[in-house]
Amino acid sequence: MKTEYKRLKGSQSFRQRLLLATLSSTPIIIDDIRADETWPGLHNHEISLLRLFETVSDDCLVQINETGTKLKYKPGIIMGGTQHRPHDCGVSRSIAYFLEPLILLGLFAKKPLTITLKGITNDFKDPSVDTFKSTALPMLKRFGVPAEGLSLKIESRGVPPNGGGEVVLSLPVVQSLSAVNWTEEGFVKKIRGITFSTKVSAQFENSMIRAARGIFNPLLSDVHIFTDHRSGPQAGNSPGYGISLVAETTTGCLISADTAVSHARHEETAGLEDDSKKDLMPPEDVGCGIANILLGEIAQGGVVDSTHQGLLFLLCALCPQDFSKIRVGKLSQHGIETLRNIRDFLNLKFVIKPDPQTQSVLLKGMGYGMKNLSRKIS
Amino acid sequence: MAVNDADQSNRPHRSRHSGAKKAKSDKKKKQQQRQNDDGGDEKRQNPKAFAFSSTNKAKRLQSRSVEKEQRRLHVPIVDRSYGEPPPYVVVVQGPPQVGKSLLIKSLVKHYTKHNLPDVRGPITIVSGKQRRVQFVECPNDINGMIDAAKFADLALLLIDGSYGFEMETFEFLNILQTHGFPKVMGVLTHLDKFKDAKKLRKRKQELKRRFWTEIYDGAKLFYLSGLIHGKYVKREVHNLARFISVMKFHPLSWRTSHPYVLVDRFEDITPPEKVHANNKCDRKITLYGYLRGCNLKKGNKVHIAGVGDYSLTAVTALPDPCPLPSAAKKKGLRDKEKLFYAPMSGLGDLLYDKDAVYININDHLVQFSKVDDENSAMTSKGKDRDVGEVLVKSLQNTKYSINEKLENSFINIFGQKPEMSSEAVADALATHKDNKHDSEEDVSDRDQHGKAIETGEDGDGSESSDQDEAGAMMGEASSSDDRDDDATDMKAIPGDLKEHVEFKDGRRRRKAIFGNDVDQSDMMDSKEDNDAASDDAASSDSESFKEDDDDDDDDDDDDDNDDDNEDDTDDDDMGNVSKWKESLAERTLSRKTPSLMQLVYGESTVNMTSINKQNDSSDDEESDDDFFKPIEEVKKQSMKNGLNDGMVNTEDCSKCEPSVDQRWDKKDNEGIRNRFVTGNLAKAALRNSLSNGNTEEENDEVYGDFEDLETGEKYDNYQTDDAVATTVHKGDDAEAEQRRLKKLALRAKFDSQYPFFPVTPEEDAGNDEKSKPHGQANESSYFDKLKEEIELRKQMNIAELNDLDEDTRLEIEGFRNGTYLRLEVHDVPCEMVEYFDPYHPILVGGIGLGEENVGYMQAKLKRHRFHKKVLKTRDPIIVSVGWRRYQTTPVYATEDLNGRLRMLKYTPEHAHCFAFFWGPLAPPNTGIVAVQNLSNNQATFRITATAVVLEYNHAARIVKKIKLVGYPCKIFKKTAFIKDMFTSDLEVARFEGAAIRTVSGIRGQVKKAAKEEIGNQPKRKGGQTKEGIARCTFEDKILMSDIVFLRAWTQVEVPDFYNPLTTALQPRDKTWLGMRTVAELRREHNLPIPLNKDSLYKKVERKRKKYNPLVIPKSLQEKLPFESKPKNTPKRKRKSLDQKRAVVMESAERKICRLYQHYRLIANNSEKKRKINAEKKRKELEKERAKDELLTRKRQREERRVRYRAQDKQNKRMRRAEA
Repeated sequence: MKTEYKRLKGSQSFRQRLLLATLSSTPIIIDDIRADETWPGLHNHEISLLRLFETVSDDCLVQINETGTKLKYKPGIIMGGTQHRPHDCGVSRSIAYFLEPLILLGLFAKKPLTITLKGITNDFKDPSVDTFKSTALPMLKRFGVPAEGLSLKIESRGVPPNGGGEVVLSLPVVQSLSAVNWTEEGFVKKIRGITFSTKVSAQFENSMIRAARGIFNPLLSDVHIFTDHRSGPQAGNSPGYGISLVAETTTGCLISADTAVSHARHEETAGLEDDSKKDLMPPEDVGCGIANILLGEIAQGGVVDSTHQGLLFLLCALCPQDFSKIRVGKLSQHGIETLRNIRDFLNLKFVIKPDPQTQSVLLKGMGYGMKNLSRKIS
Repeated sequence: MAVNDADQSNRPHRSRHSGAKKAKSDKKKKQQQRQNDDGGDEKRQNPKAFAFSSTNKAKRLQSRSVEKEQRRLHVPIVDRSYGEPPPYVVVVQGPPQVGKSLLIKSLVKHYTKHNLPDVRGPITIVSGKQRRVQFVECPNDINGMIDAAKFADLALLLIDGSYGFEMETFEFLNILQTHGFPKVMGVLTHLDKFKDAKKLRKRKQELKRRFWTEIYDGAKLFYLSGLIHGKYVKREVHNLARFISVMKFHPLSWRTSHPYVLVDRFEDITPPEKVHANNKCDRKITLYGYLRGCNLKKGNKVHIAGVGDYSLTAVTALPDPCPLPSAAKKKGLRDKEKLFYAPMSGLGDLLYDKDAVYININDHLVQFSKVDDENSAMTSKGKDRDVGEVLVKSLQNTKYSINEKLENSFINIFGQKPEMSSEAVADALATHKDNKHDSEEDVSDRDQHGKAIETGEDGDGSESSDQDEAGAMMGEASSSDDRDDDATDMKAIPGDLKEHVEFKDGRRRRKAIFGNDVDQSDMMDSKEDNDAASDDAASSDSESFKEDDDDDDDDDDDDDNDDDNEDDTDDDDMGNVSKWKESLAERTLSRKTPSLMQLVYGESTVNMTSINKQNDSSDDEESDDDFFKPIEEVKKQSMKNGLNDGMVNTEDCSKCEPSVDQRWDKKDNEGIRNRFVTGNLAKAALRNSLSNGNTEEENDEVYGDFEDLETGEKYDNYQTDDAVATTVHKGDDAEAEQRRLKKLALRAKFDSQYPFFPVTPEEDAGNDEKSKPHGQANESSYFDKLKEEIELRKQMNIAELNDLDEDTRLEIEGFRNGTYLRLEVHDVPCEMVEYFDPYHPILVGGIGLGEENVGYMQAKLKRHRFHKKVLKTRDPIIVSVGWRRYQTTPVYATEDLNGRLRMLKYTPEHAHCFAFFWGPLAPPNTGIVAVQNLSNNQATFRITATAVVLEYNHAARIVKKIKLVGYPCKIFKKTAFIKDMFTSDLEVARFEGAAIRTVSGIRGQVKKAAKEEIGNQPKRKGGQTKEGIARCTFEDKILMSDIVFLRAWTQVEVPDFYNPLTTALQPRDKTWLGMRTVAELRREHNLPIPLNKDSLYKKVERKRKKYNPLVIPKSLQEKLPFESKPKNTPKRKRKSLDQKRAVVMESAERKICRLYQHYRLIANNSEKKRKINAEKKRKELEKERAKDELLTRKRQREERRVRYRAQDKQNKRMRRAEA
């Protein structure tokens, strides 16, 4: 039987394309992956992601041409199960890059997934694993994912450039998700957070907290930021520190912001050798900046922050054929891309209406009716 | 009243003396009698006596009843069909010659008062105010039965009562059961063959009992007693119709998750010239039918049963050819509303197409009026002919076809009236009311308009097509062959669709807009003119003409474009755009601010009618010719494509770049403070409520002035705040109230649906308050809660869907369940058209997610108990899974205790087993029915097995036992080299560490492949090295004569074979031939079954074992003590020396010997004497005893005699005394 491939172009939203192709079992061909760039073809983290998809699913086919500019992907059946061998995510992107597609993939697997991921846990580019734990996982619960068996454990931390972090993710299996009506953003009632530091003084954390609290204190008294100082093998291979904040509203929405500070990767600094030994950003500035960013997110409105819009849209799209209604702040670039990918793969469109009063955007749409078909019945 | 009642003399009851009632009561009496005789009846006299006395028993009974209650419940199914339901399909099935067609004809006659000449294809009938049914006759072959079972909502199983059940009925029942069990009703026919009423009754009983065991106790069996004038009895048909009309249908899980269409009309739309050129070319076909199951989305693939998988080239919703009557309040159906539609049977009068409606009028119903005057005079009978008649008559005088005339008229326009816009003409053509508008137009023009009327009336609803034609021609003539034209044409397509919807309403929405307007616009420049033409009726006021400014005009145009979304008629008007408008379009494109949805999803190509791969094709084009391109053009292209390009290789990152840090310093904090619980809650609540209001009814204007309040922040008017807060609260309360009411309404509706009849909305509203306590009482049950939740969700969805406008709804939801669809499919093999048979309905089923992929499936299979033989692994069977039918080769297996899947050569006799096969994947829980033989004349039961899909996989892990046999070739102490077990060293490596054993039971292990220099003799001798010799160790030394076994499991491959059944691509009466089983092939080629002699059973002959004597070595014997020394010397053959020789005694010895002899003689004699004496004594003693005995007996007799005499005397005395 001849398989018809869906043809796509470019490296944009690579993860979602793979994810949606696997969930909708559509074979895809991606052409022109960074064809015109200095470093053409797939990057390390993308290769690693493909490997991860291969481990988790059964009988999937991945073909990459010599230059890495063309990818042929035929999805298999998502198996899940306990993966005894840890997956090496490399040091080019942080673990959250891999977690984002993986948590959706794992929900529709044959067996509950447990996997160890090694690499960078905290990064300024991707959301940190702390944010992931505090925001993304509770979001799944809202869509009917059972709480037991859903966990993310941070064994050790690692920051760029050398990484060395390790997390253990375990995910339950669902039959199907359930649609949500999630438009009430509520008021921020508490702010929680966690700071970390690896291979630097624990005092860095305290100063970050102090700076952040300084901004929150006039607004809210219920602010608790915990510290997580790691040393020895648990601290990974590079020095760094960072903070992740979550604001919880009265309606249970979680709005998060995070950042991490560390030395830059080698490849990025290849051009400018001289200031590779540049000093890190002072912790006070970090704390102050992240608090401002969080406030910015809160001010935008919406039930999730801009980082998690994509995840929210995907979850809505994978619901049964019921209407989901959600509210987000400004549509982020990633969110828009997600919406487009959902349209391309699942043939779903959301009704998007701006709400000028609150400067937010209301989305509603019917789910695809995704069911976990690989699960065995007895 | 009461008095009257008392006075009233009722007729006394007269009990029956004969007939059915009498028999019934007699029987009842008899039964009672019998029970009385048994004495068991007493129990029932006093029920109180049998109330429970023990609490345990009561508890048990209660728990049992609760359990029974729970067992009755099923997980509620979400019903996602929101619109009007499609007609229910009633499949009439039965063996040949049982009266299927006649039943359908009778039913159709009953409903519509029409005689149906021939039952071909589905027949749709409006059977009631709320219900339509579609009758389909099930074909007699097994393929047709399988397909029919997939779309049947109700199956009428016709059974020949005089003959009894036939296999077809049971086959069909089994097929129904595996593909979700729709409603089934048995109908007995041919009952008039029974002359004897008793026999008839008996047969009815018999059949009913059998029918009940097959379905469930109490399944409805209907009796049709016989024929009157070749039709079933009217009364009985009426009753049957009643049964059909009150039947309730429950959703079946496969069908609610897959869209499907039962095709009631089939057209081949391949261009005839193409067919003419090549008769075997792939065809384009259109299929028409109601959409059932769930919603059909754009881009869904379909499976046409018996043909294959296709993607739909175009899907169009057509107006319902057989609509339900409008919901006016009246009882029953009017005759006018008793519509029916059966295009395949040639009965329906109307045929709807995408762009035309055809009316069939039977020739005998049509009266053609004659053209000549004298005839017409005769018909009009001297009356003056009225205007309409004259008009019609004039129409008959036409000599040219419409096309020709239109061409002519067009040339006219172009030559004489260049200012007149083509659109205006088109509009003029379309409108009926053209009496007033053309005062200034010349005669020729009027003439043309007359023709326009003609086309309009002639087509009766096909105006749209005419209009299109006209429009197309204008486009051609105006020689605007630029690209934009194409685009606008495409826009016009959805307009066609709309056109039909309009037609359905029976009126046109467009007002006449020209006349003066056109003329005015004639004065203006041509551009202005166009705008005016594109204006709809609403904007026909002279606003736009007042403004000469181009820019303003453009703005207007913008507005119009926006209006277009709502007013579809405009799309028609956009039909042609001349060249100069291109720049205008561009300008508008650059200027207009698209909506958020457009921003996200790009240019909305609301082209739902034609599902094509536009994007792909455009991509290809680009790749062809985009080597050098001006940058502007590329940009333009990207604009058109919807902002998508240009970020092909952006980094994939969910976290957006930290924006320009806004410092939320203390001054600015006020802005964000209200987002916190510590902020001003009232203001915040205001914000929330505003948003709520927005979502509910979207009236920004009402709250528009509050915006200042929020941002201004200058004054803190508590008063207003409070007021606002209270209103907010009120709003909340109101909302909650509303929600509660809604809930209650739902509940009521739901409860009222439990009893049989559906409740109308009016009643529903009335029920609200009444049902309230009832609902609360039921609140506790989990089941009810679940149901309520589902219902609520459904209502919410409906509400959301109703909010959307038609286009968006279509985009989001797809075509609704119950719409009449036209499906266009391209590249269908010509055989489908060639062998199309209306007696075989076509089923088009939508393919779900991932179901077009192929893989291994695991199913739980059981051989059917009626099927004679067991099934063999890898013998091809034909399975029906989901919509599909295909042939595949299953491997049967069973699961061992440790979870291993062990292959079975044959299916077990009476148990389930697993079947693994390769084919298009079906989701778990899908039923499968398997057949092996499709031929009709096979006498036995054709269904071989039934199964259900458990899971699917990309690899099947089935194993079977394997036994490797080897022989030692060299033996060391406990190590031995084993040959012939493996063929290569690689194989040895695979089995390293495997357990082995010898025949004598010595266990061992495979170590490694033997090294050449040690194990391989041939090498040393200069020959080839022998591979596959394994070094093994054993727990003891083995012998060269031992045989070594290795027992292991080996993977079994499931053949990657599946062969779709293409029964629609061949003559229906031919049996489909697929892969044949090995047995069939052998039979065909007369080949014997291969025989392995080793496998034969032979008589076991065992020789007596001969054991050698035990030999004890001499040295050992010597050492043994005497007792242990072997003494059993064998018997000698030769005589011993003693025996041989004669022995002579000496004299002394002789004396001794004689003495001995004397002694012995004396002893013997004395012994003899003693014995004689003893004998004598014993005899004497016996004599004595006998004497004694005699004496005693005598004495005893005397004694007894005395005693009895005394007794007798006493007795006599007593008697005397008594007397």
